[in-house]
Amino acid sequence: MLTQTASVPVRTMPGMEGGIAVLAENKVYALQHPYALDGRVSSYPASARGYSVANSYLLTQSDAAMLIDTGFGKDEPAIRAQIESLIAPGLPLSLFPLRLNEFMSINNVETFAGHFNVEQCYTSNIDAALWFDFGAKADGRSILDAMPVTAVTRSDTIKLGTKGRPIDVMQAPLRLIATRWLYDRTTRTLFSSDMFTHVWRAHRDGPWIVTADDDTTSARELRSFLLNTRYWWLEGAPTAAIRRGIAAVFDQCDVETIAPGYGCILHGRKVVARHVEMLDEVLAGLDKSVAVSRYVARDEER
Amino acid sequence: MTGRMPREIAPGVFWIGDCLAQRHQGKIYHAYNAAFLVAGETASVLVETGHPKDFPVIERHLSELFARGAPALKYLFVTHQETPHCGGLGRILQRFPEAILCGDVSDYHLAFPHYESRMRWMNEGDAIDLGGRSLMAVEPVIRDLRTTWWGFDTGERVLFPGDGFAYSHYHQDGHCGLVAEEAVSLDLPDVSAVFADLALFWTKFANMDAYCDRLDHLIERLGVKTIAPTHGLPITDLKVTVPKVKEGLKYAAQVPESGTNEKVPVAQQT
Repeated sequence: MLTQTASVPVRTMPGMEGGIAVLAENKVYALQHPYALDGRVSSYPASARGYSVANSYLLTQSDAAMLIDTGFGKDEPAIRAQIESLIAPGLPLSLFPLRLNEFMSINNVETFAGHFNVEQCYTSNIDAALWFDFGAKADGRSILDAMPVTAVTRSDTIKLGTKGRPIDVMQAPLRLIATRWLYDRTTRTLFSSDMFTHVWRAHRDGPWIVTADDDTTSARELRSFLLNTRYWWLEGAPTAAIRRGIAAVFDQCDVETIAPGYGCILHGRKVVARHVEMLDEVLAGLDKSVAVSRYVARDEER
Repeated sequence: MTGRMPREIAPGVFWIGDCLAQRHQGKIYHAYNAAFLVAGETASVLVETGHPKDFPVIERHLSELFARGAPALKYLFVTHQETPHCGGLGRILQRFPEAILCGDVSDYHLAFPHYESRMRWMNEGDAIDLGGRSLMAVEPVIRDLRTTWWGFDTGERVLFPGDGFAYSHYHQDGHCGLVAEEAVSLDLPDVSAVFADLALFWTKFANMDAYCDRLDHLIERLGVKTIAPTHGLPITDLKVTVPKVKEGLKYAAQVPESGTNEKVPVAQQT
């Protein structure tokens, strides 16, 4: 049973791990599935212990839905059941995996494309169907070949449903590889993929949403998280352009919730502002004007 | 796709797999998502699995090699968790039920939990015995995910650097299936910059001189004779080609980042 803050209700399903956090009723649901941090998770420092969650997000309209990231294979039955509990059978479903090269984002595209009425898969790469074929289904390749793929640029707006709910697409200003961020204007939610992923928990039951009453992350912890994960190269880098890119996102988008691909969701204007400011402060402190770029060995933790 | 594969790039080391077309700045480049079979006296190890799309090709190439006498596949070593390197993992383990996955096996228990009992952790210096040669986990100088290991064949001193030495090649010039020294028209600064834009964002922000120096140190320390990158063409003459690759890496770091996968906007699609 997941626990959650009073401001964000959570639904669980009997016999299934993971929960549905209702970020905006009938609009945005977070499908959250915990995993242990035991030194065997690439997206967290090797020394991190405790738990995190893989987040998929379901955006719903009365006549359409969109799933952002498809989760790990271990959670496929649970995520599928969660989606079935939230949308009507046969409802047109779009998929939008934000990173094409990581299991957490694409592991279940093939299965969901074969199970749901997937009307399209949004992606940064027109050849994306080639990337999702993991052999989960005997006819997976033909399912994927039949799945319409809609390419989006690094600055685009897609429309969800006949009412045209706008979802802004942007290139992630800080990233490992080709990564998209999304902004849902309707709910003021920024889907930040592999950024703002720095809050994890000691216990398997979370809570998986950070609110102003429970926001204890320090800039030092954020810095350490970045340098001990996929952003190990930031120390001594010219971070000004990255900072400008992040600032531009938050200048243009009125963000109330940051919804990362993994880790705790950051909810509320005060929390969002604090974490954005912390990130900017950390990046400024890593800039080449005050730090030196050097060779960083694989297992060096800072 | 090329008829040159499987190709033996060093005694007992076979290059297999296929290219992937990359659209960039209005051009189409090719890059490999290669795999390599290292055949010992008693066992073989597959290094990388190839791109998710390539399993049929990988399976066919492996079948050819086993028919020619390569020992049974007992091990699978993948450099890291990005799917162009490990996307075929589930099907390899299914197709070869005796094979054990080795390396930094982070995440795979989350993606393929039914194979968790066949995953073995390796630390730096740990080696897989193939009979007469072994595959060792070594320092990953150029990496993106922190969980990367590079592989090293102690027999023929072949380095498997995963995302290191990553560059595209020109399909139209017939480069598919060639080693780097044969691809005479390859413009390494150009193709290195393309790959950096698409897949190695960090190289535009780090001091690449320091990483190139470390590459030299590793190559010297291990006595590397051949380099078998996942994305670039294999390097068989290190004195000739490694300086060019380093030049390309440094050049790519200076070229302004131009974004990833520019496509026709949604609004213009029909």
